[in-house]
Amino acid sequence: MKLLTHNLLSSHVPGLRPGGGFPLRIELGRPSELPPEPSPGYEADEEFLRRLHHVLLEVEVLEGSLQCPDSGRRFPISRGVPNLLLSEDEA
Amino acid sequence: MEHEATQLEKQHVHSVYENTAAYFSDLQTKAWPRVRNFLLEQKPGSLVVDIGCGTGKYLSVNSQVYNLGCDYCEGLVEIARKKGDEVLVCDNLNLPFRDQCFNAVISIGVIHHFSTKQRRIKAIKEMARILTPGGQIMIYVWAMEQKNRRFEKQDVFVPWNKALCSRHFSESNQSGDKGDFVHSAKGQDIHPAQLVISECSYQNNLHPETDSKHPRNMDHCLPRACCMKISEEENRFYSALGRSFRSWFFSRSLDESALRKQNDKMKHLKHEGVWASSAVPIQHSRHCSLDLGHHGALLNEQSLDDDDDVFVESLSLKKPQWSPAPDALKDLSLNGGHQSVAQSKGDKASFINGPVEDKDCIYDCNKDGAGKSDASKVFKRTSTTDSTDSALDSAVSVGDQTDAMLDTKAFMRYYHVFREGELSSLVEENVPELQILSSCYDHGNWCIIAERRG
Repeated sequence: MKLLTHNLLSSHVPGLRPGGGFPLRIELGRPSELPPEPSPGYEADEEFLRRLHHVLLEVEVLEGSLQCPDSGRRFPISRGVPNLLLSEDEA
Repeated sequence: MEHEATQLEKQHVHSVYENTAAYFSDLQTKAWPRVRNFLLEQKPGSLVVDIGCGTGKYLSVNSQVYNLGCDYCEGLVEIARKKGDEVLVCDNLNLPFRDQCFNAVISIGVIHHFSTKQRRIKAIKEMARILTPGGQIMIYVWAMEQKNRRFEKQDVFVPWNKALCSRHFSESNQSGDKGDFVHSAKGQDIHPAQLVISECSYQNNLHPETDSKHPRNMDHCLPRACCMKISEEENRFYSALGRSFRSWFFSRSLDESALRKQNDKMKHLKHEGVWASSAVPIQHSRHCSLDLGHHGALLNEQSLDDDDDVFVESLSLKKPQWSPAPDALKDLSLNGGHQSVAQSKGDKASFINGPVEDKDCIYDCNKDGAGKSDASKVFKRTSTTDSTDSALDSAVSVGDQTDAMLDTKAFMRYYHVFREGELSSLVEENVPELQILSSCYDHGNWCIIAERRG
């Protein structure tokens, strides 16, 4: 799973407050290598853009999980594929 | 109804794809041209998602956009992943995506697997939700109206047979639905919408002359019959065989069923004993349809005993008037009924469990007149055939278990095939956030392109 994909995902556990499902927390050991916010004028910052491109599109999460920020429900990622299915009881 | 719908789909969509996923890895199926064009027209840098991507056939069409695919079936998603696609597992009815984040969505051969109108609407609404204003969606669904004929009913079961997943087929295959493919023998009157049941074992090479005992099978999974290119030799072979096996299985629409009264159920219980003795032939003529039972019995809590599974049941019976065709029923019996279709006892979700609702059901599709009998209550012929085939041609042997090579499985997939205009109406009436831009008929599918209003 690429980080750009992660950007698009939201937890869909029922009963969350609006926006409560995003962003899913990636559980891995690695710390982020990017600043929390892009600095103004980032579009012109070649160096920053390269790092951003790398993180978004060239880093893949292979094993781990995505945790819903509000409910705590975890969605597994295995072999690079996140499984966002809810069980029949949950949905 | 929700529960029944999910059970039906679990058994006749998800489980089938999961079990047959392994066979799809061989297929190099082509993308539908229209879908390709839709994808290629997206601006570079667009975020595009294929909902129900299967093995990811469309995910590498346009490398200038960000392609994401998702599917309910893990097996298929794994295959796409191995190809390097960015994929995830999720449910169309509950997409794990943020609102309005995609520039384009495609749904090719997916929503026809939803068993109720409400679910189909929900699927479309979910896809509309994740579209950015101005973003476009393309939806393909199987059409009731096929090239030469049409399905007689909208809710059908389509058998799948692994004999179809031959590498040989894959090259010339052009499919749009998770690797389904169809044969269209040239010059043959083999209709795309006709399904062939076969018990041929899986083979890579098709050599008709060596295989007279094991006729091959063409699973004419709709709607792609017109696009196959196979050798002349095969054409002739298939044309000869194809006519022998044609079956559609019609299910009762869950939507319709929901309107029926419960007291129908009571009638069924009386007929329970009848099943044990009845031969249950698979319908044979092109236009025959089998009504596999009324919703009340679909997920019949009071399931019948060992005789629940009509297909299994029928195997033990021999009917001389049937042609010595391969044992198609064996296919349908699902090899012990473990993972495929008609589950037998204990499985409340068995779609085929239920006895039918009318006393005057007949199941004889044999002109010799297997005739009406109590047993015939199992199936109901809902249309007559105008086929010029002889009874033998169209008949399929029920109890004829000739060879031990019958190891192919047939899984029955549920489809709700769409009438002309149905998809458009569905969107117009229920999904106001989408505006339809165009609609057309393409290779046995109804197709629409709609835009998210902004």
